[in-house]
Amino acid sequence: MAAKLSFLIVEKSYIIRSGLMQIISNFYETGVVNELHNVENLLKNISGIKPDVLIINAKLIDAVPELILDIRKKFKDLKLIVFVGTRREADNFSVFDLKISVDEPKSLIVEKIQSLINEIKPKKDDNLSENLSEREKEVVKQIALGKTNKEIGETLFISPHTVITHRKNITKKLGIKTVSGLTVYAILNNLIKIEEAV
Amino acid sequence: MLITKNIKPADVILQNYHLIPIISRFGIKFGFGDKNVEQICKQYGIHTDFFLEIVNAFNDKDYNPYEKLRNMSLSLTVSYLLKSHYYYNKVKLPFIENLIDSLEWEEEDNVKNKNVLKKFFSQYRKEVTEHTANEETEIYPYVLELEQNYNNTGKTASSLLEKLKTKSIKDYAETHDELNSSLLDLKNIIIKYLQPAKNQDVTEQILIEIFKLEKDLTDHTELENNVVIPVAERMETELKNRN
Repeated sequence: MAAKLSFLIVEKSYIIRSGLMQIISNFYETGVVNELHNVENLLKNISGIKPDVLIINAKLIDAVPELILDIRKKFKDLKLIVFVGTRREADNFSVFDLKISVDEPKSLIVEKIQSLINEIKPKKDDNLSENLSEREKEVVKQIALGKTNKEIGETLFISPHTVITHRKNITKKLGIKTVSGLTVYAILNNLIKIEEAV
Repeated sequence: MLITKNIKPADVILQNYHLIPIISRFGIKFGFGDKNVEQICKQYGIHTDFFLEIVNAFNDKDYNPYEKLRNMSLSLTVSYLLKSHYYYNKVKLPFIENLIDSLEWEEEDNVKNKNVLKKFFSQYRKEVTEHTANEETEIYPYVLELEQNYNNTGKTASSLLEKLKTKSIKDYAETHDELNSSLLDLKNIIIKYLQPAKNQDVTEQILIEIFKLEKDLTDHTELENNVVIPVAERMETELKNRN
């Protein structure tokens, strides 16, 4: 399963915040969404929350233009979106990755944010392909044969601890948790014969 | 929408068909015309307030029935849980099992696929049956015994006092395992890994039934965790203090 993205919305108005939340809920990739009402402690909050995407109202940074440069410098992977209340096409928001405007239709805003999201590289740990490695297939086979972690370790010359790690990754990749579920998977994929299953 | 005793169940069901199995679980038969909740409950000897808490919880996921249920007799909740057990073991699980049995694949895969799924499901069915049987013979009678003695301000039965020395509802709460993992696995297997059956309509029915059963079991566990266990715990403490 792809990693979920964390968002941080910085906006004073409740109505606009709710609108932005509503838009963000459109994406499959959306995970946690945090809100801030002003730019006080913004840097500290970014360090703490570690969002993947920051959405901030242009008005909030007019007074502190150096703040956003600072954020850009410190958090290189963070995607920055500026929200503008009225059309300010002439304004220079070059430091941001994207500008969305109150006057734009939903379809355009969603499309723009989606393509920005697509640029975000998946985090290493979550970039698991759903295909099992040869080693993992071997572990699934042993599980389906009814072996314990200790026995599997002995058969494959690995520590029981490594077996547990394999099992966790297998469950994560396949979405199957129980021994009987893994047994079904093993039989369907010809890792074992049905007569061999316990 | 809040369901009250003056509302007609016919109107409610027409708005939300998810209540259909709940109505049946209380033993209410369809064809009840324009009677309201209170009249129907009276006719069937159902505790109206208890009925309302259950149907409201099913009707609106944000409705929290637990506080009110904790203040009603545990025997009401237990008798509802027993009816749910019957529904799982005698109605839903056999129904899904029959559906699995009627799946068909191309000749060379038919036997293998069918056998592996049937075996998985019959194991699961056994798990559920054992789990519910344990609750019916051990947990629920104990909880009802607690309540009976709790309400009886006189002497606490010595047999119960003996049990209280070694037994606690907390042990049950700890071993109260999830029955849903296997269902989640089954959904993944059917959606992602099983070869498509010739009769896709049956696959579709099976999946829908599993989703419904999963939701029902989750509600069931919630009811045990939020009503039966805390109330029994309170009674255990009180009975120990009394004696």
